Amino acid sequence: MKQPASEAQQGGPDAAPAADAAPVPLTKPAGKTPGGSGSRPPLGLRLDFRTLSLLGVLAVLIIVGGATKPDAFLATSNLQLVLTQASIIGVVTVGMTFVITSGGIDLSVGAIVALASVWATTLATQEYGFAGILFTAIIVGLACGLVNGVLIAYGGMAPFIATLAIMASARGLALLITEGNTQIVTLKSVLDLAARDSYILGIPPLVIIFAVVTVVGWLLLNRTTFGRRTIAVGGNAEATRLAGIDVRRQRLYLYLFSGLCCGIAAFMLIVLSGSGQNTNGNLYELDAIAAAIIGGTLLSGGRGTIVGSVLGVLIFTTITNIFALNNLQSDVQQIAKGAIIVAAVLVQSRTARHGEA
Amino acid sequence: MAPAPPEGHLLTMSGITKLFPGVRALDGVDLEVQAGEVHCLLGQNGAGKSTLIKVLAGAHQPDDGVITWRGEEVQLKSPIAAMKLGIATIYQELDLVEGLSVAENIFLGHEPTSAGFIVKGGEARAAATALLARLGHPEIPASRQVGELSAAHQQIVSMARALSHDVRLIVMDEPSAALDPDEVDNLFRIVETLTADGVAVIYISHRLEEIRRIGDRVTVIKDGRTVAVGLPAKETPTSEVVSLMTGRKVAYVFPDRPSVADAPRGEPVLRTEGLTREGEFEPVDLELRPGEIVGLAGLVGSGRSEILETIFGARKPTAGRVLVDGQELKPGSVRAAVRAGLGLAPEERKAQALLLIESVTRNVSVSSLSRFSRGGWLDSSAERKAARGATQELSLRPDNPDAVIRTLSGGNQQKAVLARWLLRGCRVLLLDEPTRGVDVGARAELYAVIRRLADEGLAVLLVSSEVPEVLGLADRVLVLREGRVVHTSPAQELDEHRVLDLVMEGSPTP
Amino acid sequence: MPETSRRGLLFGTAAISAGAFLTACTSNEKKDEPAANDEPAADDKPGKPVTIGFAGPQADHGWLNAINDNARNQAKKYSDVTLDITEGSNDTAAQIGQIDALINKKVDVLVILPADGKALTQAGLKAMRAGIPVINLDRIFADPQAFRCYVGGDNYGMGVNAGNYIGEKLKDKAGATVIELSGPDSLELTKQRTQGFDDALANYPNIKKVARQAADFTVESGQAKMAQLLQAQSKFDALWNHDDDQGVGALRAIDQAGRDGFLMVGGAGAKSAMDAIKADNSVLKATVLYPPIMASSAIDLARALGQGKGVSGMAGLEIPAQVTLFSAVVDKTNIDEYLPQGFS
Repeated sequence: MKQPASEAQQGGPDAAPAADAAPVPLTKPAGKTPGGSGSRPPLGLRLDFRTLSLLGVLAVLIIVGGATKPDAFLATSNLQLVLTQASIIGVVTVGMTFVITSGGIDLSVGAIVALASVWATTLATQEYGFAGILFTAIIVGLACGLVNGVLIAYGGMAPFIATLAIMASARGLALLITEGNTQIVTLKSVLDLAARDSYILGIPPLVIIFAVVTVVGWLLLNRTTFGRRTIAVGGNAEATRLAGIDVRRQRLYLYLFSGLCCGIAAFMLIVLSGSGQNTNGNLYELDAIAAAIIGGTLLSGGRGTIVGSVLGVLIFTTITNIFALNNLQSDVQQIAKGAIIVAAVLVQSRTARHGEA
Repeated sequence: MAPAPPEGHLLTMSGITKLFPGVRALDGVDLEVQAGEVHCLLGQNGAGKSTLIKVLAGAHQPDDGVITWRGEEVQLKSPIAAMKLGIATIYQELDLVEGLSVAENIFLGHEPTSAGFIVKGGEARAAATALLARLGHPEIPASRQVGELSAAHQQIVSMARALSHDVRLIVMDEPSAALDPDEVDNLFRIVETLTADGVAVIYISHRLEEIRRIGDRVTVIKDGRTVAVGLPAKETPTSEVVSLMTGRKVAYVFPDRPSVADAPRGEPVLRTEGLTREGEFEPVDLELRPGEIVGLAGLVGSGRSEILETIFGARKPTAGRVLVDGQELKPGSVRAAVRAGLGLAPEERKAQALLLIESVTRNVSVSSLSRFSRGGWLDSSAERKAARGATQELSLRPDNPDAVIRTLSGGNQQKAVLARWLLRGCRVLLLDEPTRGVDVGARAELYAVIRRLADEGLAVLLVSSEVPEVLGLADRVLVLREGRVVHTSPAQELDEHRVLDLVMEGSPTP
Repeated sequence: MPETSRRGLLFGTAAISAGAFLTACTSNEKKDEPAANDEPAADDKPGKPVTIGFAGPQADHGWLNAINDNARNQAKKYSDVTLDITEGSNDTAAQIGQIDALINKKVDVLVILPADGKALTQAGLKAMRAGIPVINLDRIFADPQAFRCYVGGDNYGMGVNAGNYIGEKLKDKAGATVIELSGPDSLELTKQRTQGFDDALANYPNIKKVARQAADFTVESGQAKMAQLLQAQSKFDALWNHDDDQGVGALRAIDQAGRDGFLMVGGAGAKSAMDAIKADNSVLKATVLYPPIMASSAIDLARALGQGKGVSGMAGLEIPAQVTLFSAVVDKTNIDEYLPQGFS
């Protein structure tokens, strides 16, 4: 006695919550229900309220920038600058978005960037050339991510505590390696990556790395089992476990991924600044968390958006850029940054309520 | 304690309705309490008792209904508002701050102060000691940290906190659950003292014998509705109370059972051998054949959910083993159980099964992701199609794979959980209270679905505290009492009273 | 792997700075050593043994690192000095605890470089009351009673000298524009440096400061802020950067933007900056010193205090209450003289 498929295919704009219908005799086909099968737009790029509001904020910023400093702000070189400055923190934010989506937090990202950048720029590492630096940065990032992941997934530590501990240790280790000195990179092949000559079709290589990480992150989150499990763990870890998914292994992979992003970011920072310093990546954790949150990733987990995170990063970078071009000082910049966070989150929670209610 | 007004009820709640997304937790509950009485509130888990007392405590706002307090209609907008009227609630999970002292806990939020903010510690301790003495426990030191006290003493502190306000009604949610018999005696003495002072007590308990001892009147709620108001606690027969709690107001249509001739005879797909978890349940041996529904009947705390979760690997057994097709499962591994073809629809659906803000599709496909992926790459359209096939199979409504699961009714949420396991191709379904939080009207449909799945060859292990549900649905029934299987027989050989007798009294197996 | 040979590197850097330091500390009499502008304050002959307690912030920055190295090496020079150096801390409470520990150990003299001068005033007072003379290094206490002697650089003077240097270079250019890349605005010394810079530029009516952004003494921030400044100012004639560490990043940004045609002046006096000045192949033409050898001076003064001696070259037996080091401008003309002082 199989149920014939319901013919309720007429897509409504928004499926109304349906109460349990009265008992339906099983011999009859299930009645027509008001549910629609609202099809998802291609690629899942839903231009929902969140994304629209972020794009709106960005548009306002561009108008403000264009109005106050038309020549400097609207120049191609400025677009290149803003994107370059967004790219390092952007890569870190992509990793952070995964961790937050899974209901975790990674406070150690800035410290990992610092440690990876100094380890990869010791004179000894530099002897191994371009590949040595890249390899070291990524391995150090992965290793830190592994420690985070093991402590959290198998050691049962709260992510906040575990990554806080790694944050302190990694910074300490970075200081130990540098002894407070700035390690200057002398390898031309590395330094040239940030030079104007190596721009590809006008796009700086660092921005290309950022774009690649973003696309990979987006695909990973939206198109793979890895992403789906990440969201599931964040939405309800117990339910995910009882659905037969290895939650602990998933958590381990997530912190590894965040560590990997930090390693890549460390390499990018080496390229950009031409040096490794134990103070690198200062407060990246807060910038990345802020960007992810205003982008629409739920701090409690279960929902994450790479597009939102990238928009969040671009908003912050654009603000900094506009302020600097207008010669406003750091006090004003910080106040504005705080105000933007509050405003963005308020706007979003409102639109979210209207959009979902 | 101010005396209650001479006429009328102290508290009247009528037509109280409370909606949560997808479920009608209270659907017109009535309750009347008189000053100085012990009014017992009875109901199964999920009947709406805790929602009701949260409404009374001001923690939930009802969607409909009227609350009258000492003859005047009131709105309990916040816990403070309820407290101000003189309604105190002692929750089952004690809400004490362990790091603070006894006196500090008792006067938390209304500390005796000078100049408005300097806490007069000595005064508070003296007052606390007086309150504790009144409760018959002068030996609890007022300056001791609450975390260092026994559960029973913590409860006394909780009660002292209630009495530190000018209280006229105390709600006690399963106060005896954590207590020894001696301590229960003391609790009853306290209740008597309070009622002698004119304070009314709403007493919630599963233990009928307690209700007989101290209760004056009984209100029974079931499925969010009042089914009996103000029954005399001492005179109403146990069987009547129990059938009010568990029985059906709506006559359920259970699907036909296969006749004995068609009864499944294949090799058991699931077997447990001496499966034990110390402190939770004693060795369980059971067999489950394809096409068979086996019911576990028992009260809350009888170990039924624990047995299910242990079979599923969510808890690790202290002894014994679980075999699927004769192969032993890795103990304590949900993944092993799922891979072997087990699926669990847990009791706490929202907490243990659902990704609430996700779509139906994603909730259904979560256990089968690897089926729709190549090298980790998800084929979303295949996923969607398959998930939809599974939900349509179960007539889940709305027939919209993108509907957010939170917006669905309890019955449809449960269907999504079942669809998850169907999609996974599971062969043994473990159902823990499958109709909990499911509207009455939708239950019959769910029963039919479960039976149909069994007819299609699934083995089903069903846990329910609703005796008619177990009897109506299962082929064989195991009756549990306090972690022990006390009876096993085909469902046809049992009736509700017999099961209730076994469950309540634990009379030996004939 | 990097591990093993890293030590080599670290040792190498340490050796370089130690070498630089040692050279800097030798007296003028010594032959074939470049002249340095300080000499041991008290005489070198061994005297009464002195234990000097040294409490500084965490050496997470080239300059602070050089401070620690200078203090250590200067103490090593004297057979009669024992240096009890605490682990650096940027946390005020932790540093107070470390100073208390040194007081309890009854060291003879304390040298304190506070993480925050104002916040550690009480710790200084406590030591002084316990009869331990305090030498306050660089970041001054709020109360003069909290130290016996203050040794520090001149942040205002640093700004003035940078301003005057730039002013002199641009005085003949009509409508000259200048930009400033400052240190963190949260530090008082940044404000003092900026004030000095502005005051000096006021003497040159043809020069206008058109932009200022604050970096935070790190290479990363130097690069980021400089890139923004370059984008904002398509043309300018001079740049003053407060700190050579962040200057590494600033130079990177200038290089990446392919910009030149202006004069850059640095600050503090890092080795990398001095090398660039000497090589004369970048926009960086000068740097204004904020010399970490002040730590060496502090050790000398501490030893003299501990032994109850005066300072040679000073009239009177008493150690002065304040020693402010001059912020010399180093450019191509005098680079060889100062190169050994450069810290890395």
